[in-house]
Amino acid sequence: MMKGLAVNSAIPPPPPVLAGFEQINRYWDKSQGVHAAKILPGELYVSVHGEMVVTVLGSCVAACIRDRVKGIGGMNHFMLPQDSQHSHGWGGDALVTRYGNWAMEALINEILKRGGKRGYLEVKLFGGGQVLENMTDIGGRNIEFVRTYLKDEGLEIVAEDLGGRAPRKVLYFPDTGACRVRRLNRVTSDTLYNRERAYAKKVNTTPAEGSIELF
Amino acid sequence: MTRILAVDDSASMRQMVAFTLKGGGFDVVEASDGVEALELAKENDCDLVLTDVNMPNMDGIELTKELRGLANYKFVPILMLTTESGMDKKTEGRAAGATGWIVKPFNPDQLLSTIKKVLG
Repeated sequence: MMKGLAVNSAIPPPPPVLAGFEQINRYWDKSQGVHAAKILPGELYVSVHGEMVVTVLGSCVAACIRDRVKGIGGMNHFMLPQDSQHSHGWGGDALVTRYGNWAMEALINEILKRGGKRGYLEVKLFGGGQVLENMTDIGGRNIEFVRTYLKDEGLEIVAEDLGGRAPRKVLYFPDTGACRVRRLNRVTSDTLYNRERAYAKKVNTTPAEGSIELF
Repeated sequence: MTRILAVDDSASMRQMVAFTLKGGGFDVVEASDGVEALELAKENDCDLVLTDVNMPNMDGIELTKELRGLANYKFVPILMLTTESGMDKKTEGRAAGATGWIVKPFNPDQLLSTIKKVLG
């Protein structure tokens, strides 16, 4: 009987989304045959259900982190503000790295909250390319930041594909830790450039700060 | 000198927080989780506690409850500094006896002015 082989009925229902990630774009990825979540600059996603996490990187960096024992993990996608307006005067570098610090800590906390253990964390890094024209080496600064951060936190990098000039598409499978990286053609990456420029503008003009509430 | 107990399991975050607080003229005692913080709180008289929420061994909510049970810390301001912005956690923190809730990333100037405000 051919009945059971109908394409649509072969797609399993999507796993439940974890609280806090409802706004992330999720879809069925036909080529990999898995449910996937696609993150944009400034976003992060964590899964406990073996979903694939996907992003496209120019000069931004994505950290793929998981608990290698439990298979709980995810990905972030960020860049540091490059403008000196954030680094002027008192505070210096600490101000500029707040974005990166937040992106890294938020991802790690989401994994720990779901039962991951700090001692089992496995880190892979991607991106940080020098892909935007007429800009300083933002990619290089993002790479330098994330390496320093992980060193300070005592977390080892088990794999990386950083720098260079080509944009990348990264597929990450937090349950197994597998990654697939595809170099993208520079001329076909207009969407990526525009998105990254818009994000760069946002991090350079919006102060990085959360809310404060006194009880 | 006003002494602040700063608690966070992330070394980079402790660095940033300590840098900000020292720059604001405060004396800083650092701890990497709730258990260590509770010990340090008993050994040192701290005027304010600034703590992360998600931490191994003892989290910030539990730490707040423990501190509120100590005579010396019944009325000391306890500020939570966290990536958690959800209502549930915030309500838990408030019920545990926290004085306020600051969501990361923090703005150094705002952090200092909030601390000065709750110190009165």
